Amino acid sequence: MELLAQILSSGIAVGMIYAVIAFGFQLTFSTSGTLNFGQGEALMLGALVGLTCVDTLGMNYWLMIPVVCLFGMIQGGFVELIGVRPAIKIKSEFGWIMSTIALGIIFKNVAENIWGRDALPFPSPLPMEPMTFLGANILPMEILVVVGALVMMLLVEFFNRKTIYGKAVVATANDRDAAGLMGINTSMVITFSYALSSLTAAFAGVLIAPLTLTGATMGGALGLKAFAVAIIGGLSSGLGIIVGGLILGIVETATGFYISTGYKDVPGLILLLLVLAYKPSGLFGKSAIKKV
Amino acid sequence: MMKLKSHIPLLIAIVGLFCLPLFIHNPYYIHLAETILIYTILLFGLDIVVGYIGQVSLGHAALFGIGSYTAGVLFIHFGFPVWATIPASIIVTAFFGGILALPALKVIGPYLAMVTLAFGTIAQILINEMTWLTEGPLGIKLPKPQLMGAPMTEAEFFWVVAAIMILALIVVDRFVKSQMGRAFEALRDSPVACDCMGVSVYRFKVIAFVISAGFAGLAGCLYAYSEQYISPNTYNNELAVLFLLGIIMGGRKSRLGAVIGAAIIVLLPKLLDDINLFRIVASIIAIVVVVGAAMALSKKVTTARRVAVPLAGVVGLAVFSFWLNSIADWRLSIFGFMILLVVYYLQNGIVGFAKSFYQSIAGKAKTTRGEVAEEVDDSISFISAVANQNTGAELLKVESLLMQFGGLKALNNVDLSIKRGTIHGLIGPNGSGKSTMMNVLTGIYVPTAGSVLYAGESVVGKTSSDIALSGIARTFQNVQLFGEMTAIQNILVGLHHTFQSNIVEIALHLPRYMKEEAEAHARALALLKFVGLEDLANEEARNLPYGKQRLLEIARALALDPELLLLDEPAAGLTAPDIKELLRIIRKIRDSGITFILIEHHMDVVMSVCDTVSVLDFGQKIAEGKPAEVQADEKVIHAYLGT
Repeated sequence: MELLAQILSSGIAVGMIYAVIAFGFQLTFSTSGTLNFGQGEALMLGALVGLTCVDTLGMNYWLMIPVVCLFGMIQGGFVELIGVRPAIKIKSEFGWIMSTIALGIIFKNVAENIWGRDALPFPSPLPMEPMTFLGANILPMEILVVVGALVMMLLVEFFNRKTIYGKAVVATANDRDAAGLMGINTSMVITFSYALSSLTAAFAGVLIAPLTLTGATMGGALGLKAFAVAIIGGLSSGLGIIVGGLILGIVETATGFYISTGYKDVPGLILLLLVLAYKPSGLFGKSAIKKV
Repeated sequence: MMKLKSHIPLLIAIVGLFCLPLFIHNPYYIHLAETILIYTILLFGLDIVVGYIGQVSLGHAALFGIGSYTAGVLFIHFGFPVWATIPASIIVTAFFGGILALPALKVIGPYLAMVTLAFGTIAQILINEMTWLTEGPLGIKLPKPQLMGAPMTEAEFFWVVAAIMILALIVVDRFVKSQMGRAFEALRDSPVACDCMGVSVYRFKVIAFVISAGFAGLAGCLYAYSEQYISPNTYNNELAVLFLLGIIMGGRKSRLGAVIGAAIIVLLPKLLDDINLFRIVASIIAIVVVVGAAMALSKKVTTARRVAVPLAGVVGLAVFSFWLNSIADWRLSIFGFMILLVVYYLQNGIVGFAKSFYQSIAGKAKTTRGEVAEEVDDSISFISAVANQNTGAELLKVESLLMQFGGLKALNNVDLSIKRGTIHGLIGPNGSGKSTMMNVLTGIYVPTAGSVLYAGESVVGKTSSDIALSGIARTFQNVQLFGEMTAIQNILVGLHHTFQSNIVEIALHLPRYMKEEAEAHARALALLKFVGLEDLANEEARNLPYGKQRLLEIARALALDPELLLLDEPAAGLTAPDIKELLRIIRKIRDSGITFILIEHHMDVVMSVCDTVSVLDFGQKIAEGKPAEVQADEKVIHAYLGT
């Protein structure tokens, strides 16, 4: 029972991080039908910039968050301008897949050259004394991760639903051409969606960093697993990614505990393959009707 | 004789390749050349997935690794010799390629790329963790294969690899030019049309992945012997990206492109090891691009805006190279940067670029493919002698058909009865469910309720390709040709069902395959002539004028030997003379006994050829009868004019 509670609590924290990154995938996919294959690198850059702010510049953790978010926005906008916009223009799917992968490789390499190849510890803003709840040890930071992730997603949802700019985003997501004819600058909206997507990733980076180590290689696996979450939950379902994230986080923690940490990444990816084989639109997604 | 002549450069290249170890004695360079050949074999396979079926695979590094590890594991655990490990590697890897294809079948584009990435990650983890089988991170050491009791020398092994590479080249080349290769290109250009031509997208995607993986396995096996040491870290996702870079940079759908791509990805890391060499190369590239851009600008072929980014890129790279002290740390960045440049400015690869450059210099029109229209053998019966008997018997019976999308009933309790040998018109205002009916009949949609009986058998739940093979062919409202394929190739895809030959027969050019290919070719030409397109046989379908595209679609549908032909607005967008031609063709096809369902908005067309007309409105059948009766029907007039 205690073990179960322990696995659940750790799994939930990891799962919520996946959900936030997956949320970023959804943002860009809905507006432009494209994904940033370097989403994990956006997270990694966010975490490392955060580390520099806290460690080198001596900033407070909470003050650093807006700085990192701003950085994430700029980084995401850059990716869209360099990697995605030309591909959308020439309608080349191959183009944006390859260019976002290439940008991810470049970011990773640049990060290695700036911050080094070793994983660095990230100072925790909250006490690292575990609290005991139902026999499970829960770090305060884990609770912060869950709350932070939820708040982030709610804020973006609020923005989309209640503000006029958000309505432009939603309109573009529904029908890019029609939105363009209504006077919405859709390429601006797409750039913005990338900025927002990298912002959430960078934010997720500083949330998770105190729990793990920070380093240039932290992004790859996280990005891939977040994609698995986005697929498992469905690329169009907000609830789906939270459920998907939790499933993956818990399954993974349980695997790491019962089998071996080396195999930790395997079940999630197998789950991804299974979902794609049997329900490609995801557990919560609606399947599209093909038009001929 | 002509054929031999065109093969001379290739033969010289092959002889040169085999002589290489005689002139270069340094094992390092021989090994480098060997690695290029091995990567070439892999790229041949990868090209099937990337170039021919148009999918991004990031799983080929893992497949390459599976090939290597099959050889390694069989060697250390069972002491298998090389002649046993090579086929084993091919088979095992092909099997994994099939596994990779299964989820990949239902997804396209970015999903597939991610799936293959996930597959690659899983494979790498498993190789690392399953130490009892693979020795884990320690890796496996294995010696060069034995030759007469002693391990081969580097040069001897090079000859083995070179011979296998030439074999692979021949097999791949024959394969992609066969009906299989055409099926791959067809499913890339229009999956829906491909299925409706009886070529199952599902099946051929799996075949493409399996074969592609087979080549990766072969390459992996040779690589293990070439390196004599394998470890899991070699087969990472960066290698997968490197392979992709190789195939795009070299040139898709080109064997030469694969060789060039392989040479680049093998030599590139070596180049990046040496800062001085890199500075020189980066400077040369920058100068070439600057001069090229200046020439293009002066001739006003391009605009300053368009060349600004690549110019800044290459000049920036050159400046960057002089600023750096050591290049080793920045290798991946430069590599990523090259991908960006290639993806946007060298989309067709070096081979594609050279081709179009040559064409612009030589002043050849891009459209003519250099071939003169061939003689058409008029004696061939290109339209199948359909069971011409039983005219008037029921061929298709649709009963209380319901097709529901969410709350919308696109078809609501529709009954249809189509008699053999007749032309049945299906008309109705836009959105009345005509095209939905077509899609249900051809298996693209599965109806919510109701039955569709074709020649006494239910088609509900059958796949599109099975329905097509059972004798229902169709055209599409918005033309669905295989755009990048020539007119004759489009028809040959329709004739796919006439081929029985298998992979071995294709690879060896055995008589049955040669006969089938010749017959299909002759019949395709006859069909083209029937619709008046014989002069445009070697023109890419996307370059044809709209009216001709519609005619080509009809010819392609006829190639399927249908009993029932569904035409979805064949006259839409056609000029008056074109329509006349269309009517002539329709009547002629009808005379050979083929039954039609014709959706059309041109009432004169409908009234002049149809035997029976059914009218749909809001998913319901509101009238049916002879054209004149329907024309006078109150309900029909109301539906069209709304008064």
